Amino acid sequence: MKTPNIDLEELKKLKEDNFKERLEFIDKYVEWLKKTSNKKWSSEQKRIIDL
Amino acid sequence: MEIRFLKDRIELEKELNILDKIVLEFVSLLDKSNIKYVLVSGYVSILFGRSRTSEDIDIIAEIMDFNKFSRLWEQIYEKFECINTEDLKEAYEDYLTKNHALRFSKKDSFIPNVELKFPKAELDFWTLKERKKVLLNNTEIFISPLEVQIPFKLFLGSEKDIEDARHLFKLFKNKIDLQLLNEFNRKLKIESLFDRYLR
Repeated sequence: MKTPNIDLEELKKLKEDNFKERLEFIDKYVEWLKKTSNKKWSSEQKRIIDL
Repeated sequence: MEIRFLKDRIELEKELNILDKIVLEFVSLLDKSNIKYVLVSGYVSILFGRSRTSEDIDIIAEIMDFNKFSRLWEQIYEKFECINTEDLKEAYEDYLTKNHALRFSKKDSFIPNVELKFPKAELDFWTLKERKKVLLNNTEIFISPLEVQIPFKLFLGSEKDIEDARHLFKLFKNKIDLQLLNEFNRKLKIESLFDRYLR
């Protein structure tokens, strides 16, 4: 089986970009949390956690 | 988010998820046995809405003698079981007093579980002493002060830990004691991480 060439620097950059995007998501999520009722956010959180 | 952030307590009402329910159930057993404890690590972020789950809930409990622990063990065993060992003496002597955590799960399930340990580092003792009261749906629980929880998560340093720290900081940066937080940043030598990920 022929396997792809792996550019570790490229993958490292993708990993860093992904992490940066997740941090940006947290900022947006916290902003949403602040303006959202406890009933709404906690019921959405429960859906994720109680899966 | 409707939350009351007072000097001596935080008040929060939410729909309880399975982790919240296990926390309330387990800490009620610690309360019944008059054991001082503090909830630390990932659950603190989850309590305040972080959009992730966890396989464990970390609790530091005050150091107790074998007799007190055996009474607690009996209470715990009515609803939970210990994953590490079923032997009370081994649990105390080979785990707790050797600074290893004991893991408890609800009977007939493996996860999530409660990780119970004694304080070891001076920071653990400080966290236990300075624990912050939270009224969760009018039930009292105690969490690590956010001023140490945020820097310590950064100190641990995995992507998940950094995300937890960012979540708490962005949510509470206008409520917490920033001078105290900065002191922990300095002591844990994570000032550059703080500037990089939380500013």
